[in-house]
Amino acid sequence: MSQSPSALSILWVLIERDLRTLVKSPWILISRTMFFFIQLFVFATLVNKLVNIPGFNYFEFYSVGAVVSTITSIAFIIGADLFEEEELGLLDYLLSLPFGHSLFVFGRALGGAVRALIYCAPMMILVAYLDGMLTPTAVLGSYVVLFVLATGISGLSITLAMVIRNENRFDVVIAMAELATVRVSAAIYPLYYIPKVIQPAAAVSPVTSASDLIRLLVLGTPTGAYELVELALFVAIFFGLGSVFLFRKLEGGRFE
Amino acid sequence: MIEFRDVWKSFKNVYAVRGVTCTVQDKEIFGLLGPNGAGKTTLIMTMATVYRATKGDVLVEGHNVNTEPERVKELIGIAFQDAKYDRILTAREILQWHGKVTGIDKSLREKRIDDTLAKFGLTTEARKRTWTLSGGTKKKIENAKIFVQRPKVAVFDEPTAYLDVPSRLMVWEMIDELRDEGSTVVLATNMMDEADRMSDRVGIMSKGEMVQVGPPDKLKGTLRGRDVIELKLKEPMPELLGEVTKVEEVHDARFEGDVLKLELSNGRELLPHMINVVTAKGGQIQSANLKEPSLEDVFLHYTGTKLT
Ligand SMILES: Nc1ncnc2c1ncn2[C@@H]1O[C@H](COP(=O)(O)OP(=O)(O)OP(=O)(O)O)[C@@H](O)[C@H]1O
Ligand SMILES: [Mg+2]
Repeated sequence: MSQSPSALSILWVLIERDLRTLVKSPWILISRTMFFFIQLFVFATLVNKLVNIPGFNYFEFYSVGAVVSTITSIAFIIGADLFEEEELGLLDYLLSLPFGHSLFVFGRALGGAVRALIYCAPMMILVAYLDGMLTPTAVLGSYVVLFVLATGISGLSITLAMVIRNENRFDVVIAMAELATVRVSAAIYPLYYIPKVIQPAAAVSPVTSASDLIRLLVLGTPTGAYELVELALFVAIFFGLGSVFLFRKLEGGRFE
Repeated sequence: MIEFRDVWKSFKNVYAVRGVTCTVQDKEIFGLLGPNGAGKTTLIMTMATVYRATKGDVLVEGHNVNTEPERVKELIGIAFQDAKYDRILTAREILQWHGKVTGIDKSLREKRIDDTLAKFGLTTEARKRTWTLSGGTKKKIENAKIFVQRPKVAVFDEPTAYLDVPSRLMVWEMIDELRDEGSTVVLATNMMDEADRMSDRVGIMSKGEMVQVGPPDKLKGTLRGRDVIELKLKEPMPELLGEVTKVEEVHDARFEGDVLKLELSNGRELLPHMINVVTAKGGQIQSANLKEPSLEDVFLHYTGTKLT
């Protein structure tokens, strides 16, 4: 007979499962890597030649935003995974395993975040190198920021998946959420140049906070401590909401 | 021990399980027998905490699925009717992950995985992604999860569906082994021979209700007076009918051609006696045949549904 594993080892096996499936389905990620490289070396390089603002290097600015937006889009995948798991009946299997539902939600959000971070880790090193700041502090600090952002985005994605409950509608909403979080932010253009109407939204976007914090680390661009608070708040809200919704759905029994 | 206490489960307004009350004893193989749509899977899912009962409780080793789902999940392992695992992973990876998440130590886990895969002859197939495997092989891997886990309460939902004959026998043997080691087994099936061969006790489900529970032989015994003795004589002898009906257990006697057909209870014990009665009156018996009710007859009797 077996002995029940600890919460920590459960979290680890849940994360491990996400990692195993990540390794096995490389195409979606390969396409995102290519997108990253094209954005960086074609788009950003080009725009850098077009704009000429003294004291501002668009390539460097953009390079950070490219990593942040890539990790955002990968972290969003977790909601679609949950849909697929429900469709294949895998959710039934997962729910029959010896761990509580809240641990399950926590594990999934962490799994989504770890998966996204592992994937973006090399990109971050490349960017730190290109921006001339390949130091352990800059890179590790950036990892922390990316991980926190990815956990929040995973939470947001789980929340949306649970609220929407319809896969086709979810795909649309996720695409829009991704567009909104990435485009309405200072990830790929400075806040200053964003149309006035959406500037406030862009300012509070977690993607803006993450980008600004990493720019502080690798480019030395000054930013306020409120960015940290904003990011933490975002994670708390959506991770919490995701947990609550998934929790409710699971606790209530399915198909009710 | 597993106790179902007035368990109801509805999906929207369809009741799939209607007031099931019954007990599964420790270390027994409990066969859940019923036609398609009877509610077997739903009952199992409720017991495994996957579905929440609309009403009623299930207690697994004293732990209530509604209030202590985590404790229940620690005790249970369930092989689902349809294979439920990551199709992108290989069989070995699936079994390793399942073993890990259910807390089986590494060395034991690897040994059990090797043993189980070898028994199913899947050692090489276990390196392929499971979505490329055949239907029967997928089902074997679903069962293999439980043979690796070896839980206190093992649940198999139609474990031999899609399986060829040698594999069915292998699964039966492996389930027997599991029980001999001390597991309690719940086995849902709609195959009579499987329920009859495997179960210590059978619960017959029909339209969401548990209509009868008991050991297969005892259930057959409930159909008293349903044994049939057929004696083929050299020629019809209508005068025998009066003689044989003098035996108290015989309810009905008639000739169908030259075959004397007796409907009676306790056919097995009375067969020699009936032969004596007939030969004493000068009947020349060419062959004798005893038919006892099968589990199928029991099933038919209680559900009004015929399984094929
Ligand atoms: N998820 C669900 N949503 C709605 N109805 C369901 C669901 N699952 C089962 N049912 C209904 O509940 C009833 C019982 O189904 P169940 O799967 O428990 O039967 P079963 O005895 O396992 O049948 P089978 O031998 O075909 O596996 C059926 O009428 C089925 O349509
Ligand atoms: Mg079923």
